[in-house]
Amino acid sequence: MHYVWAGALALIFSVSAALAEPVKYVLDAANSVVSYEVGFGQDKITGRMPIKAADVTLDFQRNANSNVAVVLNAAGASSSFPFAEQALKGPKVLATGQFPELVFRSSAFRIGTTTAEVDGQVTIRGVTRPIRLSAQVFRQQGTDPGDLSKMSVHISGAVNRSDFGATGWSDMVSDRVVVQIVARLNRAG
Amino acid sequence: MIGNDPDRFGLLTRLIHWITALLVIGMLGFGTYIARMQVDMSNFHLFGWHKTIGIGLLALIVLRILWHRLSPPPQPMATVPGWQRRFAKGAHMALYGLLLAVPLTGWIASAATGIDVVIFGTVTLPRIAPVSQAWETGFFAAHGALTKLLAAVVLLHIAGALHRSDGTLRRMVSGKTGPNEKRPLD
Repeated sequence: MHYVWAGALALIFSVSAALAEPVKYVLDAANSVVSYEVGFGQDKITGRMPIKAADVTLDFQRNANSNVAVVLNAAGASSSFPFAEQALKGPKVLATGQFPELVFRSSAFRIGTTTAEVDGQVTIRGVTRPIRLSAQVFRQQGTDPGDLSKMSVHISGAVNRSDFGATGWSDMVSDRVVVQIVARLNRAG
Repeated sequence: MIGNDPDRFGLLTRLIHWITALLVIGMLGFGTYIARMQVDMSNFHLFGWHKTIGIGLLALIVLRILWHRLSPPPQPMATVPGWQRRFAKGAHMALYGLLLAVPLTGWIASAATGIDVVIFGTVTLPRIAPVSQAWETGFFAAHGALTKLLAAVVLLHIAGALHRSDGTLRRMVSGKTGPNEKRPLD
């Protein structure tokens, strides 16, 4: 889900053309958050999912050279109340016993001035579907304008869980799952 | 008198009977309500109460069966015709079976969802079924069907108790028969 980086590119493009080569970034997992939200009657269930691995390469001159792959630890997901967490990990939703990971791989980036859209493929429960994410890029506190060594990227998107066969408790819990990501990237090396 | 004797229902049997009666009648309405409600954070805890009361009922019927082994209840009143005795015995057997089967099917179905069955908000019951969609669907269907059957047998039981004017109902209320009422059969 850190396709996000694409978003980063938007701002970065506007500020600097200094980097002509693809640049690898390291995800600061401790300061990055993947959160989700689903409807539950008139309320919302929220939770988080740890990032297991992220491979981020950005080419600020040629978008086509950028790519992002992210693996989330579905088995380590948390929820705003315990029953929802069990339901989330159980066989009727993420089936984490069989599919402990969620995977995103980017396929295309569309860059605006300060925002970006990232297309890619997300795999949930072993089912792969296309997804489009929106991203906004921010300079991290304490960095100079144009400094691309540290970036914060806010990404949002949504999936319909039924598209992946995660149909459990559909009478209580909404089909649409909204995903929000705050990813902090540090330039590798 | 706590225990039963050949003429009277003892205090413990009567207490278990009326507590069970109140809980069963209450749960028939409560279960119907929660099955139809729009679930959200404000009412999700009602499922926990449903499970707590259901497991309480299961414990009560097991206690009742064990107690009646130790302290057998009196026989039906002597005025009851043979066919009615057989019919009443069948209804009582059905009640006992259903009071065991309804909470058990609910427990099995809940366990099959993969979500812990928690009572009193803190006690997690053993998972007595595999996590399985087939088990969940089948046992929830059985839970619903058996509950409807239980409601029918409860109505039959109440109708029978009200219909008979031989002291049967008084015996379960106060533990005594009236002065002009015949003794139970030996």
